[in-house]
Amino acid sequence: METLTIEHANALPAPTWHRLGMNDVNIELPVLKAAQKVEVQAEKGLRGEAGAFEEAVAAIPFSPFSPFSPFMAATPFMAAGEAGDQPAARAVDSEVSLGEPASLPTSAAHQVDDQESPTAAKDGGVAKDGGAAIGEGAAIDEPALSAFQMEALEARYLSPADVFSTGMGPEASEYLEFVAGEPIVFATRPGERTCATVRIKGTDGAANAAAIDVVAAPRSFLSLAIALDSPEPGTGVVGTRLRVFAGADARVDIASTQTLDDSWIALDDAGILADERACVRVRQTVLGAGRAYTGLAADLRGNDARLDVDTRYLGHARETRDFNYVVHQRGRRTVCNLDANGVLAGESSKTLRGTIELAHGCKGSTGSEQETVLLADERVANRTVPVILCDEDDVAGNHGATIGHVAPKQLFYLASRGISPDDAERLFTAAAFEEAALAAPDPRTRAAIGRLAAQRGVRIENEDEEAVA
Amino acid sequence: MTKTSAPLLSIESLSASAEGSPILHGVDLAVGAGQTHVIMGPNGAGKSTLGHVIMGDPAYSLDGGRILFDGQSLAGLSPDKRSRAGLFLSFQAPAEIPGVPVSSFLRAAAAGRDGLDLKGKQFRKRVRALAEELDMDPSYLDRELGVGFSGGEKKKLEMLQLLLLQPKLAILDETDSGLDVDALGVMSRGIDAYRRTSDGALVVITHNTRILERLDVDRVHVMVLGRIVAEGDASLVAEIDAHGFERFERTPEDATRDGGAAPDARGDGAEAARQADPSPASADRAAQTVATL
Repeated sequence: METLTIEHANALPAPTWHRLGMNDVNIELPVLKAAQKVEVQAEKGLRGEAGAFEEAVAAIPFSPFSPFSPFMAATPFMAAGEAGDQPAARAVDSEVSLGEPASLPTSAAHQVDDQESPTAAKDGGVAKDGGAAIGEGAAIDEPALSAFQMEALEARYLSPADVFSTGMGPEASEYLEFVAGEPIVFATRPGERTCATVRIKGTDGAANAAAIDVVAAPRSFLSLAIALDSPEPGTGVVGTRLRVFAGADARVDIASTQTLDDSWIALDDAGILADERACVRVRQTVLGAGRAYTGLAADLRGNDARLDVDTRYLGHARETRDFNYVVHQRGRRTVCNLDANGVLAGESSKTLRGTIELAHGCKGSTGSEQETVLLADERVANRTVPVILCDEDDVAGNHGATIGHVAPKQLFYLASRGISPDDAERLFTAAAFEEAALAAPDPRTRAAIGRLAAQRGVRIENEDEEAVA
Repeated sequence: MTKTSAPLLSIESLSASAEGSPILHGVDLAVGAGQTHVIMGPNGAGKSTLGHVIMGDPAYSLDGGRILFDGQSLAGLSPDKRSRAGLFLSFQAPAEIPGVPVSSFLRAAAAGRDGLDLKGKQFRKRVRALAEELDMDPSYLDRELGVGFSGGEKKKLEMLQLLLLQPKLAILDETDSGLDVDALGVMSRGIDAYRRTSDGALVVITHNTRILERLDVDRVHVMVLGRIVAEGDASLVAEIDAHGFERFERTPEDATRDGGAAPDARGDGAEAARQADPSPASADRAAQTVATL
């Protein structure tokens, strides 16, 4: 069968030692026709027009000064003639007048040094008098910057639209958009409270995906459930490409549940942009699929924006799980919590990359990544890379992980209750399914979880069925 | 109250070690169905080890002797099979298992047991009723097993499992340790309920006599340095409460140096043992105890 490869998917923005082999992943996919069979349930008036997401992002007041660089005008990047290109942007946030940096205090001068233009840095030197680079000799005093640092510097001068990305990266995003066709757009009205559900079923011999755009107007609340399921047998690719714009004071809850059989490949790609005081909560439940790739990137641009991601996963037999979370905390006092809980059994393997960037200007922000993994079998492969990147003071970045095989003491405890080692592995798997069923957003998703659990030899109670009975 | 019946649990000349270090030395013990036995002794006496060895903890090696339960040898029987045969060990420090909700764990523990493998709502109702009986917040049932539980909540969960699984014989390993008065009352209530509903046998391992106040104790065994050094009826509990374990801890060398054996252990305790349980095995054990001392 003909295949295509999505290269450098789920890439770490700041790569680590390449020999670890986890900076990114190449995803080989069979070349399949696009099924474009997606079921959408939404309250009346919620469906928006294509392009709503781009419009919303473009409408964000943006200035390369704000909130990061009050003395930006003094930098050669702007002084070299580009400052005049963005008069409107400057008017948005003018803590410091354009002419002020002509004579900077010492501390401010340091900031200017700190914010040298990426262009100049690439050229090897920066003039402090507002002129162009002064030649190779100046480079001696300049710190060497990593590729990520260069990009981070560059991002300060780029608009939200320019830096917006999804977790799996551009190639995966393009592939999913191609397969999905026209995007499904949900656009809330200011102050509205509403919900929607998107179901993507595995279609035998095809790739089936949904491109979903969410534009949450200020003060609105949207609860979005996404289900990837394979009720009928077959093989293929199932995926989503999700873009979320959460306006000021908006809240968006996303519950994504993947219950595909092992013969399917899952691609779950998401990008989030949060404006001031916006709150986005994501619950990702990855229970099935022979190979599951999940990527999420977020730009907490507005002050006091918040992102909570709760990831639950289960690895079984020879399944592969690959996660990538990249969160840029750019606004002040932003909060990010990345929590992952998983069980790996059989010969399954998992890679989880989590990057939190506490960007320049995000004073008062906190970022945290925590993972708990239970390794139920000696043969599993578990890899976790938590990365905290910090370019600001008065911030807090934490990461922690509890990763371990089931200890003999734990196994004996279970055995003393009549639970054999084989039963224990089933218990860990069952526990993951039961937890997912409890948290399922609707009865159909709960039933899908029950179906997959039954295939694993796990019987979970379905309260909906009991209620019907 | 003493019930005379064939031993449910019979331990003969049991010796065990951990990582090459001998811990138990020729222990003999016989517990009849429905009886309550108490094993007391100072710290490090080997009481908990005995409980773990009976349950089949692979951390210990069986160096000699044998254990019979319900007429069958436990040799070669894995802990899960011992549990399903009707043995239960309440842990002094129960394990924490992140990722496994208590409710899932309880369901797995009860699965496949006659009369206990209830379905859906019935099971939940049963577990909630037990939690209520033990003054346990039902929200704990949805939490990860042992994770973030206080010492008291862990012990309550052990008791809940005892009531849920209704074993033929339960070994309670210092169930009372670290509990306040109220929690101790709850534990006692749980033990009462177990005796009332299951009529099961109990082996209570403790060095605190408080939890025994509400129990009808059939036999008391004193363990020191891996040996049963004295046995007697319930009156031995009061004696230990008043005088501690010091007199039992005297070694043969101590006795020789002092010009005689330990009088109390050789006298009242051993004699009481013979009177309470006139079986030859008991007499033999008492004789061995005397010989040891």
